[in-house]
Amino acid sequence: MVKRHHWIVRVTHWVNAIALTLMVSSGLGIFNASPAFAPKGGTFCCYPFEGKAFPAALTFGGWLEGSRRWHFAMMWVLVVNGLVYLSFVYLHGEWRDLVPRRGDLRDTWEMIRFYTFARKDHPRQGKHNALQKGAYFAMPWIAVLIVITGLAIWKPVEFSPLTNMLGGYAWARYWHFLAMTAIVVLSVGHIFMVFAVDPYSLRSMTTGGYSERLSPEERNARPFLNLLPKRAAPAVPAAKKPKAT
Amino acid sequence: MTRKRVSGRWADIDRRDFIRFGGASLSAALLAACGSEGPERAQKLLDYAAKKNESVERLIFRHTSMDHAKANVRAAGSEFPSYFIADTVPTLDAAGMAAWRLEVGGMVGKPLSLTLDDLMKLERKTQRVNHYCVEGWTAVVEFTGVSLRSLATLAQADPKAEYVDFQSFDNGYHESWDIESAMHPQTLIVYAKDGAVLPPAYGAPARVHSPVKLGYKNTKYLTKIVFMPARNGGYWTDQGYEWYGGV
Repeated sequence: MVKRHHWIVRVTHWVNAIALTLMVSSGLGIFNASPAFAPKGGTFCCYPFEGKAFPAALTFGGWLEGSRRWHFAMMWVLVVNGLVYLSFVYLHGEWRDLVPRRGDLRDTWEMIRFYTFARKDHPRQGKHNALQKGAYFAMPWIAVLIVITGLAIWKPVEFSPLTNMLGGYAWARYWHFLAMTAIVVLSVGHIFMVFAVDPYSLRSMTTGGYSERLSPEERNARPFLNLLPKRAAPAVPAAKKPKAT
Repeated sequence: MTRKRVSGRWADIDRRDFIRFGGASLSAALLAACGSEGPERAQKLLDYAAKKNESVERLIFRHTSMDHAKANVRAAGSEFPSYFIADTVPTLDAAGMAAWRLEVGGMVGKPLSLTLDDLMKLERKTQRVNHYCVEGWTAVVEFTGVSLRSLATLAQADPKAEYVDFQSFDNGYHESWDIESAMHPQTLIVYAKDGAVLPPAYGAPARVHSPVKLGYKNTKYLTKIVFMPARNGGYWTDQGYEWYGGV
Protein backbone atom coordinates (compact mmCIF):
# COMPACT_ATOMS: atom_id res chain seq x y z
CA MET A 1 0.00 0.00 0.00
CA VAL A 2 1.42 3.36 -0.99
CA LYS A 3 0.24 6.93 -0.58
CA ARG A 4 -0.66 7.91 -4.12
CA HIS A 5 -1.84 11.49 -3.62
CA HIS A 6 -0.63 14.09 -1.15
CA TRP A 7 -3.40 15.35 1.16
CA ILE A 8 -3.27 18.79 -0.42
CA VAL A 9 -4.03 17.25 -3.80
CA ARG A 10 -6.87 15.20 -2.33
CA VAL A 11 -8.47 18.13 -0.50
CA THR A 12 -8.19 20.50 -3.46
CA HIS A 13 -9.55 17.79 -5.75
CA TRP A 14 -12.78 17.41 -3.79
CA VAL A 15 -13.17 21.12 -3.11
CA ASN A 16 -12.74 21.60 -6.85
CA ALA A 17 -15.30 18.90 -7.62
CA ILE A 18 -17.93 20.57 -5.47
CA ALA A 19 -17.06 24.14 -6.51
CA LEU A 20 -17.03 23.20 -10.19
CA THR A 21 -20.40 21.46 -9.93
CA LEU A 22 -21.89 24.53 -8.28
CA MET A 23 -20.24 26.92 -10.76
CA VAL A 24 -21.48 24.99 -13.78
CA SER A 25 -25.03 24.55 -12.46
CA SER A 26 -25.37 28.14 -11.23
CA GLY A 27 -23.80 29.32 -14.50
CA LEU A 28 -26.41 27.41 -16.46
CA GLY A 29 -29.03 29.05 -14.24
CA ILE A 30 -27.71 32.48 -15.26
CA PHE A 31 -27.45 31.40 -18.89
CA ASN A 32 -31.08 30.26 -18.89
CA ALA A 33 -32.27 33.80 -18.11
CA SER A 34 -31.24 34.65 -21.67
CA PRO A 35 -30.03 31.52 -23.46
CA ALA A 36 -28.67 33.24 -26.56
CA PHE A 37 -25.48 34.97 -27.57
CA ALA A 38 -26.71 37.42 -30.21
CA PRO A 39 -26.95 41.04 -29.09
CA LYS A 40 -30.55 42.28 -29.32
CA GLY A 41 -31.40 43.00 -32.93
CA GLY A 42 -28.34 41.11 -34.11
CA THR A 43 -27.34 37.59 -34.98
CA PHE A 44 -24.74 35.17 -33.73
CA CYS A 45 -22.98 32.85 -36.12
CA CYS A 46 -21.79 30.08 -33.94
CA TYR A 47 -24.31 28.72 -31.50
CA PRO A 48 -26.87 26.28 -32.95
CA PHE A 49 -29.17 26.33 -29.91
CA GLU A 50 -29.96 30.06 -29.66
CA GLY A 51 -32.96 30.62 -27.44
CA LYS A 52 -33.07 27.09 -26.01
CA ALA A 53 -32.74 26.91 -22.25
CA PHE A 54 -31.13 24.05 -20.35
CA PRO A 55 -33.39 21.78 -18.25
CA ALA A 56 -34.01 23.38 -14.87
CA ALA A 57 -32.73 20.20 -13.19
CA LEU A 58 -29.22 21.04 -14.39
CA THR A 59 -29.33 24.52 -12.87
CA PHE A 60 -28.71 25.63 -9.34
CA GLY A 61 -29.77 28.69 -7.39
CA GLY A 62 -33.54 28.55 -7.88
CA TRP A 63 -33.86 31.89 -9.71
CA LEU A 64 -31.64 34.30 -11.60
CA GLU A 65 -30.30 36.22 -8.61
CA GLY A 66 -29.99 32.99 -6.60
CA SER A 67 -27.77 31.56 -9.32
CA ARG A 68 -25.80 34.81 -9.57
CA ARG A 69 -25.18 34.87 -5.83
CA TRP A 70 -23.82 31.31 -5.89
CA HIS A 71 -21.77 31.94 -9.01
CA PHE A 72 -20.15 35.10 -7.67
CA ALA A 73 -19.39 33.46 -4.32
CA MET A 74 -18.09 30.10 -5.54
CA MET A 75 -15.84 31.77 -8.10
CA TRP A 76 -13.53 32.81 -5.28
CA VAL A 77 -13.47 29.27 -3.86
CA LEU A 78 -12.63 27.89 -7.29
CA VAL A 79 -9.85 30.41 -7.92
CA VAL A 80 -8.25 30.19 -4.47
CA ASN A 81 -8.49 26.39 -4.46
CA GLY A 82 -7.01 26.25 -7.95
CA LEU A 83 -4.11 28.48 -6.92
CA VAL A 84 -3.41 26.32 -3.87
CA TYR A 85 -3.37 23.20 -6.07
CA LEU A 86 -1.19 24.72 -8.78
CA SER A 87 1.32 26.19 -6.31
CA PHE A 88 1.55 22.87 -4.51
CA VAL A 89 1.97 20.87 -7.69
CA TYR A 90 4.65 23.30 -8.81
CA LEU A 91 6.56 23.45 -5.52
CA HIS A 92 6.28 19.77 -4.63
CA GLY A 93 7.22 18.42 -8.03
CA GLU A 94 3.97 16.65 -8.94
CA TRP A 95 3.91 18.68 -12.15
CA ARG A 96 6.47 16.21 -13.47
CA ASP A 97 3.75 13.56 -13.66
CA LEU A 98 1.57 15.86 -15.72
CA VAL A 99 3.64 17.88 -18.19
CA PRO A 100 3.65 16.51 -21.71
CA ARG A 101 6.82 14.75 -22.79
CA ARG A 102 8.20 13.52 -26.02
CA GLY A 103 6.43 10.32 -26.88
CA ASP A 104 3.15 11.30 -25.19
CA LEU A 105 1.42 11.57 -28.53
CA ARG A 106 2.49 8.06 -29.46
CA ASP A 107 1.49 6.81 -26.00
CA THR A 108 -1.90 8.47 -26.40
CA TRP A 109 -2.36 6.66 -29.67
CA GLU A 110 -1.36 3.38 -28.03
CA MET A 111 -3.92 3.95 -25.24
CA ILE A 112 -6.61 4.55 -27.83
CA ARG A 113 -5.56 1.38 -29.62
CA PHE A 114 -5.69 -0.51 -26.34
CA TYR A 115 -9.17 0.75 -25.46
CA THR A 116 -10.43 -0.12 -28.94
CA PHE A 117 -9.00 -3.66 -28.73
CA ALA A 118 -6.51 -2.94 -31.49
CA ARG A 119 -3.82 -3.76 -28.96
CA LYS A 120 -3.81 -6.57 -26.41
CA ASP A 121 -1.76 -5.37 -23.47
CA HIS A 122 -2.04 -2.15 -21.50
CA PRO A 123 0.73 0.25 -22.53
CA ARG A 124 3.32 0.84 -19.85
CA GLN A 125 2.77 4.09 -18.01
CA GLY A 126 3.98 6.26 -15.17
CA LYS A 127 1.60 7.55 -12.51
CA HIS A 128 -1.00 8.26 -15.18
CA ASN A 129 -1.60 6.91 -18.63
CA ALA A 130 -1.10 9.25 -21.59
CA LEU A 131 -4.81 10.04 -21.96
CA GLN A 132 -5.10 10.95 -18.29
CA LYS A 133 -1.99 13.06 -18.47
CA GLY A 134 -3.42 15.00 -21.38
CA ALA A 135 -6.70 15.59 -19.59
CA TYR A 136 -5.15 16.59 -16.26
CA PHE A 137 -2.67 18.86 -17.99
CA ALA A 138 -5.38 20.55 -20.05
CA MET A 139 -7.72 21.18 -17.09
CA PRO A 140 -5.74 24.01 -15.45
CA TRP A 141 -5.29 25.74 -18.79
CA ILE A 142 -8.99 25.58 -19.51
CA ALA A 143 -9.58 26.84 -15.98
CA VAL A 144 -7.35 29.83 -16.75
CA LEU A 145 -9.45 30.51 -19.86
CA ILE A 146 -12.60 30.26 -17.78
CA VAL A 147 -11.30 32.79 -15.29
CA ILE A 148 -10.11 35.24 -17.98
CA THR A 149 -13.34 35.03 -19.99
CA GLY A 150 -15.29 35.20 -16.74
CA LEU A 151 -13.56 38.44 -15.73
CA ALA A 152 -14.35 39.84 -19.17
CA ILE A 153 -18.09 39.34 -18.71
CA TRP A 154 -18.15 40.12 -15.00
CA LYS A 155 -16.65 43.61 -15.49
CA PRO A 156 -16.88 44.37 -19.21
CA VAL A 157 -16.46 48.11 -18.65
CA GLU A 158 -13.61 48.05 -16.12
CA PHE A 159 -11.81 45.36 -18.12
CA SER A 160 -12.92 46.63 -21.53
CA PRO A 161 -9.49 46.05 -23.14
CA LEU A 162 -9.78 42.39 -22.17
CA THR A 163 -13.41 42.13 -23.27
CA ASN A 164 -12.60 43.80 -26.59
CA MET A 165 -9.66 41.48 -27.10
CA LEU A 166 -12.05 38.55 -26.80
CA GLY A 167 -14.29 40.09 -29.45
CA GLY A 168 -16.68 42.04 -27.25
CA TYR A 169 -19.15 41.04 -24.55
CA ALA A 170 -21.20 38.54 -26.59
CA TRP A 171 -18.10 36.71 -27.77
CA ALA A 172 -16.51 36.76 -24.34
CA ARG A 173 -19.70 35.21 -22.99
CA TYR A 174 -19.46 32.59 -25.74
CA TRP A 175 -15.81 31.75 -24.97
CA HIS A 176 -16.76 31.44 -21.30
CA PHE A 177 -19.53 29.03 -22.30
CA LEU A 178 -17.23 27.00 -24.56
CA ALA A 179 -14.50 26.74 -21.92
CA MET A 180 -17.16 25.55 -19.46
CA THR A 181 -18.27 22.94 -22.01
CA ALA A 182 -14.69 21.74 -22.41
CA ILE A 183 -14.21 21.33 -18.68
CA VAL A 184 -17.55 19.52 -18.36
CA VAL A 185 -16.62 17.13 -21.18
CA LEU A 186 -13.25 16.38 -19.58
CA SER A 187 -14.85 15.96 -16.15
CA VAL A 188 -17.58 13.64 -17.39
CA GLY A 189 -14.96 11.57 -19.23
CA HIS A 190 -12.84 11.53 -16.09
CA ILE A 191 -15.70 10.40 -13.84
CA PHE A 192 -16.76 7.74 -16.34
CA MET A 193 -13.24 6.33 -16.54
CA VAL A 194 -12.89 6.34 -12.76
CA PHE A 195 -15.91 4.09 -12.38
CA ALA A 196 -15.39 2.04 -15.54
CA VAL A 197 -11.66 1.48 -15.37
CA ASP A 198 -10.13 2.45 -12.06
CA PRO A 199 -12.63 2.61 -9.17
CA TYR A 200 -9.70 2.01 -6.82
CA SER A 201 -8.62 5.56 -7.53
CA LEU A 202 -11.67 6.73 -5.58
CA ARG A 203 -9.85 5.48 -2.55
CA SER A 204 -6.51 6.92 -3.50
CA MET A 205 -8.14 10.31 -4.02
CA THR A 206 -9.84 10.10 -0.62
CA THR A 207 -7.49 8.42 1.86
CA GLY A 208 -4.50 8.41 -0.43
CA GLY A 209 -3.98 4.67 -0.24
CA TYR A 210 -3.31 2.68 -3.40
CA SER A 211 -1.75 -0.58 -4.35
CA GLU A 212 0.13 -1.03 -7.60
CA ARG A 213 -1.43 -4.48 -7.82
CA LEU A 214 -4.76 -2.74 -8.45
CA SER A 215 -3.56 -0.37 -11.12
CA PRO A 216 -5.25 -0.54 -14.53
CA GLU A 217 -1.92 -1.45 -16.03
CA GLU A 218 -1.58 -4.48 -13.74
CA ARG A 219 -5.18 -5.49 -14.33
CA ASN A 220 -4.97 -4.81 -18.07
CA ALA A 221 -8.22 -2.91 -17.53
CA ARG A 222 -10.43 -1.52 -20.24
CA PRO A 223 -13.78 0.16 -19.51
CA PHE A 224 -15.87 -2.42 -17.60
CA LEU A 225 -13.28 -5.15 -18.21
CA ASN A 226 -10.84 -6.64 -15.70
CA LEU A 227 -12.17 -4.56 -12.84
CA LEU A 228 -11.01 -7.14 -10.31
CA PRO A 229 -7.35 -7.57 -9.52
CA LYS A 230 -5.59 -10.63 -10.84
CA ARG A 231 -5.46 -13.53 -8.40
CA ALA A 232 -2.33 -13.46 -6.32
CA ALA A 233 0.25 -15.33 -8.33
CA PRO A 234 0.67 -19.05 -7.65
CA ALA A 235 4.36 -18.19 -7.47
CA VAL A 236 4.40 -18.48 -3.67
CA PRO A 237 3.46 -22.17 -3.31
CA ALA A 238 5.61 -22.95 -6.30
CA ALA A 239 8.61 -21.43 -4.60
CA LYS A 240 7.98 -23.53 -1.50
CA LYS A 241 8.12 -26.78 -3.38
CA PRO A 242 11.87 -27.28 -3.52
CA LYS A 243 12.07 -26.80 0.23
CA ALA A 244 9.63 -29.63 0.90
CA THR A 245 11.54 -32.17 -1.02
CA MET B 1 -6.98 -3.37 10.42
CA THR B 2 -9.70 -4.46 8.07
CA ARG B 3 -8.26 -2.31 5.37
CA LYS B 4 -5.20 -4.53 5.07
CA ARG B 5 -7.30 -7.59 4.42
CA VAL B 6 -7.23 -8.41 0.76
CA SER B 7 -10.21 -10.42 -0.31
CA GLY B 8 -9.51 -10.07 -3.95
CA ARG B 9 -13.02 -8.87 -4.65
CA TRP B 10 -13.62 -5.16 -4.97
CA ALA B 11 -10.60 -5.24 -2.78
CA ASP B 12 -9.45 -2.39 -0.69
CA ILE B 13 -12.54 -0.24 -0.71
CA ASP B 14 -13.74 -0.82 2.81
CA ARG B 15 -16.98 0.24 4.38
CA ARG B 16 -15.55 3.39 5.83
CA ASP B 17 -14.35 4.60 2.45
CA PHE B 18 -17.67 3.71 0.95
CA ILE B 19 -19.63 5.71 3.48
CA ARG B 20 -17.23 8.63 3.33
CA PHE B 21 -17.49 8.61 -0.41
CA GLY B 22 -21.17 8.02 -0.69
CA GLY B 23 -21.77 10.85 1.77
CA ALA B 24 -19.65 13.30 -0.16
CA SER B 25 -21.07 12.53 -3.57
CA LEU B 26 -24.63 12.31 -2.30
CA SER B 27 -24.53 15.71 -0.65
CA ALA B 28 -23.00 17.26 -3.76
CA ALA B 29 -25.64 15.65 -5.94
CA LEU B 30 -28.44 16.80 -3.67
CA LEU B 31 -27.05 20.30 -3.61
CA ALA B 32 -26.89 20.44 -7.37
CA ALA B 33 -30.20 18.82 -8.09
CA CYS B 34 -32.55 20.42 -5.64
CA GLY B 35 -33.20 23.47 -7.78
CA SER B 36 -33.61 25.65 -4.71
CA GLU B 37 -31.48 28.52 -3.53
CA GLY B 38 -29.43 26.04 -1.56
CA PRO B 39 -29.17 25.43 2.15
CA GLU B 40 -30.43 28.15 4.49
CA ARG B 41 -27.11 28.29 6.30
CA ALA B 42 -25.29 29.04 3.05
CA GLN B 43 -27.27 32.25 2.53
CA LYS B 44 -25.27 34.07 5.19
CA LEU B 45 -22.07 33.12 3.43
CA LEU B 46 -23.53 34.28 0.12
CA ASP B 47 -24.50 37.59 1.72
CA TYR B 48 -20.96 37.93 2.97
CA ALA B 49 -19.53 37.13 -0.47
CA ALA B 50 -21.91 39.61 -2.10
CA LYS B 51 -20.77 42.32 0.31
CA LYS B 52 -17.11 41.56 -0.38
CA ASN B 53 -17.75 41.48 -4.11
CA GLU B 54 -19.37 44.89 -3.91
CA SER B 55 -16.31 46.35 -2.21
CA VAL B 56 -14.03 44.75 -4.81
CA GLU B 57 -16.18 46.17 -7.61
CA ARG B 58 -16.20 49.64 -6.05
CA LEU B 59 -12.45 49.41 -5.53
CA ILE B 60 -11.69 48.75 -9.19
CA PHE B 61 -14.32 51.21 -10.45
CA ARG B 62 -12.77 54.01 -12.51
CA HIS B 63 -14.31 57.11 -14.06
CA THR B 64 -11.77 56.67 -16.84
CA SER B 65 -13.08 53.22 -17.84
CA MET B 66 -15.48 53.74 -20.71
CA ASP B 67 -17.89 51.51 -22.51
CA HIS B 68 -17.92 51.62 -26.29
CA ALA B 69 -20.29 49.60 -28.42
CA LYS B 70 -18.49 47.63 -31.11
CA ALA B 71 -18.63 49.45 -34.43
CA ASN B 72 -19.76 46.36 -36.32
CA VAL B 73 -22.74 45.63 -34.06
CA ARG B 74 -25.81 47.51 -35.22
CA ALA B 75 -28.11 49.31 -32.81
CA ALA B 76 -30.89 47.13 -31.43
CA GLY B 77 -33.46 49.75 -32.41
CA SER B 78 -36.99 48.52 -31.82
CA GLU B 79 -35.69 45.08 -30.77
CA PHE B 80 -34.35 46.67 -27.60
CA PRO B 81 -36.70 45.12 -25.02
CA SER B 82 -38.74 47.66 -23.10
CA TYR B 83 -39.78 47.02 -19.54
CA PHE B 84 -42.09 48.89 -17.22
CA ILE B 85 -43.97 48.02 -14.07
CA ALA B 86 -47.39 49.37 -15.03
CA ASP B 87 -49.73 47.16 -17.08
CA THR B 88 -49.46 49.46 -20.07
CA VAL B 89 -46.69 51.74 -21.29
CA PRO B 90 -46.63 54.69 -18.88
CA THR B 91 -47.38 57.60 -21.21
CA LEU B 92 -47.88 61.28 -20.45
CA ASP B 93 -50.59 63.13 -22.38
CA ALA B 94 -50.08 66.73 -23.51
CA ALA B 95 -51.15 68.09 -20.14
CA GLY B 96 -48.93 65.59 -18.36
CA MET B 97 -45.98 66.60 -20.53
CA ALA B 98 -46.59 70.26 -19.78
CA ALA B 99 -46.70 69.55 -16.07
CA TRP B 100 -43.71 67.19 -16.07
CA ARG B 101 -40.62 68.40 -14.25
CA LEU B 102 -37.34 66.75 -13.44
CA GLU B 103 -36.60 67.61 -9.83
CA VAL B 104 -33.08 67.50 -8.48
CA GLY B 105 -33.12 67.63 -4.71
CA GLY B 106 -31.92 66.19 -1.44
CA MET B 107 -28.42 67.21 -0.41
CA VAL B 108 -28.08 70.03 -2.93
CA GLY B 109 -27.39 73.72 -2.49
CA LYS B 110 -29.75 74.73 -5.29
CA PRO B 111 -32.69 72.39 -5.91
CA LEU B 112 -33.68 72.21 -9.58
CA SER B 113 -37.02 71.79 -11.25
CA LEU B 114 -36.42 71.40 -14.97
CA THR B 115 -38.84 71.19 -17.87
CA LEU B 116 -37.89 68.99 -20.79
CA ASP B 117 -36.97 72.18 -22.68
CA ASP B 118 -34.68 73.28 -19.84
CA LEU B 119 -33.02 69.87 -19.94
CA MET B 120 -32.54 69.99 -23.69
CA LYS B 121 -30.91 73.41 -23.46
CA LEU B 122 -28.13 72.06 -21.27
CA GLU B 123 -24.91 70.77 -22.78
CA ARG B 124 -25.81 67.52 -24.48
CA LYS B 125 -23.85 64.37 -24.92
CA THR B 126 -24.45 61.52 -27.36
CA GLN B 127 -22.97 58.10 -26.77
CA ARG B 128 -23.22 54.75 -28.54
CA VAL B 129 -23.01 52.21 -25.75
CA ASN B 130 -24.04 48.76 -24.63
CA HIS B 131 -27.01 48.23 -22.40
CA TYR B 132 -26.21 45.29 -20.11
CA CYS B 133 -29.16 43.34 -18.77
CA VAL B 134 -28.83 41.23 -15.63
CA GLU B 135 -30.25 38.36 -17.71
CA GLY B 136 -27.13 38.32 -19.84
CA TRP B 137 -28.25 40.00 -23.04
CA THR B 138 -26.90 43.25 -24.35
CA ALA B 139 -28.29 45.83 -26.74
CA VAL B 140 -26.41 48.54 -28.59
CA VAL B 141 -28.10 51.90 -28.32
CA GLU B 142 -27.30 55.52 -29.04
CA PHE B 143 -28.49 57.76 -26.23
CA THR B 144 -28.46 61.54 -26.05
CA GLY B 145 -28.84 63.50 -22.86
CA VAL B 146 -27.23 65.52 -20.11
CA SER B 147 -24.51 64.05 -17.96
CA LEU B 148 -25.63 63.69 -14.37
CA ARG B 149 -22.30 65.12 -13.39
CA SER B 150 -23.15 68.46 -14.93
CA LEU B 151 -26.62 68.42 -13.33
CA ALA B 152 -24.97 67.78 -9.97
CA THR B 153 -22.69 70.76 -10.51
CA LEU B 154 -25.66 72.88 -11.53
CA ALA B 155 -27.57 71.86 -8.41
CA GLN B 156 -24.48 72.31 -6.24
CA ALA B 157 -24.73 68.80 -4.89
CA ASP B 158 -23.15 68.33 -1.47
CA PRO B 159 -19.86 66.44 -1.83
CA LYS B 160 -20.89 64.53 1.30
CA ALA B 161 -23.81 62.92 -0.54
CA GLU B 162 -22.84 59.28 -1.02
CA TYR B 163 -25.93 57.96 -2.75
CA VAL B 164 -28.39 59.06 -5.40
CA ASP B 165 -31.98 57.91 -5.78
CA PHE B 166 -33.65 57.91 -9.19
CA GLN B 167 -37.44 58.06 -8.90
CA SER B 168 -40.11 57.62 -11.54
CA PHE B 169 -43.83 57.95 -12.28
CA ASP B 170 -43.98 54.23 -13.17
CA ASN B 171 -45.81 52.81 -10.13
CA GLY B 172 -43.21 54.04 -7.67
CA TYR B 173 -40.27 52.41 -9.47
CA HIS B 174 -36.96 53.76 -8.21
CA GLU B 175 -33.38 52.60 -7.77
CA SER B 176 -30.64 54.13 -5.62
CA TRP B 177 -27.01 54.23 -6.71
CA ASP B 178 -23.60 54.83 -5.20
CA ILE B 179 -22.39 58.34 -5.99
CA GLU B 180 -19.29 57.13 -7.88
CA SER B 181 -21.39 55.32 -10.47
CA ALA B 182 -23.82 58.24 -10.69
CA MET B 183 -20.93 60.64 -11.39
CA HIS B 184 -19.40 58.43 -14.09
CA PRO B 185 -19.06 60.52 -17.27
CA GLN B 186 -21.23 58.01 -19.16
CA THR B 187 -24.14 58.32 -16.73
CA LEU B 188 -26.69 60.40 -18.62
CA ILE B 189 -30.16 61.77 -18.12
CA VAL B 190 -31.39 60.65 -21.51
CA TYR B 191 -34.12 62.28 -23.63
CA ALA B 192 -33.28 60.90 -27.09
CA LYS B 193 -32.66 57.38 -28.40
CA ASP B 194 -31.04 56.51 -31.72
CA GLY B 195 -31.34 60.12 -32.88
CA ALA B 196 -35.08 60.49 -32.15
CA VAL B 197 -37.11 61.71 -29.20
CA LEU B 198 -37.13 59.05 -26.47
CA PRO B 199 -40.25 56.90 -27.08
CA PRO B 200 -42.63 56.18 -24.17
CA ALA B 201 -41.69 52.49 -24.21
CA TYR B 202 -38.11 53.45 -23.37
CA GLY B 203 -38.85 55.86 -20.55
CA ALA B 204 -40.09 59.18 -22.02
CA PRO B 205 -39.77 61.98 -21.30
CA ALA B 206 -36.42 61.25 -19.62
CA ARG B 207 -34.60 58.34 -18.05
CA VAL B 208 -31.23 57.64 -16.51
CA HIS B 209 -28.83 55.44 -18.44
CA SER B 210 -25.31 54.30 -17.82
CA PRO B 211 -23.34 51.37 -19.20
CA VAL B 212 -21.74 50.97 -15.78
CA LYS B 213 -25.00 49.75 -14.24
CA LEU B 214 -27.13 46.74 -15.10
CA GLY B 215 -30.38 47.54 -16.89
CA TYR B 216 -32.61 47.34 -13.85
CA LYS B 217 -30.70 50.11 -12.07
CA ASN B 218 -31.48 52.55 -14.89
CA THR B 219 -34.78 54.16 -13.87
CA LYS B 220 -37.06 55.21 -16.71
CA TYR B 221 -39.94 57.75 -16.59
CA LEU B 222 -37.75 59.87 -14.36
CA THR B 223 -39.31 62.43 -12.04
CA LYS B 224 -36.81 63.04 -9.30
CA ILE B 225 -33.10 62.71 -8.58
CA VAL B 226 -32.31 62.83 -4.88
CA PHE B 227 -28.80 63.14 -3.43
CA MET B 228 -28.71 61.24 -0.17
CA PRO B 229 -26.48 60.29 2.77
CA ALA B 230 -27.69 56.65 2.75
CA ARG B 231 -28.78 54.09 0.22
CA ASN B 232 -32.44 53.69 -0.40
CA GLY B 233 -32.88 50.24 -1.98
CA GLY B 234 -34.91 50.09 -5.15
CA TYR B 235 -37.69 48.30 -6.96
CA TRP B 236 -35.71 45.20 -7.98
CA THR B 237 -33.22 45.53 -5.16
CA ASP B 238 -36.03 45.20 -2.63
CA GLN B 239 -37.02 41.94 -4.35
CA GLY B 240 -33.63 40.39 -3.81
CA TYR B 241 -31.58 41.59 -6.77
CA GLU B 242 -28.12 42.86 -5.95
CA TRP B 243 -28.22 46.51 -4.91
CA TYR B 244 -24.93 47.51 -6.50
CA GLY B 245 -25.81 46.01 -9.89
CA GLY B 246 -22.57 47.21 -11.45
CA VAL B 247 -21.33 46.21 -14.86
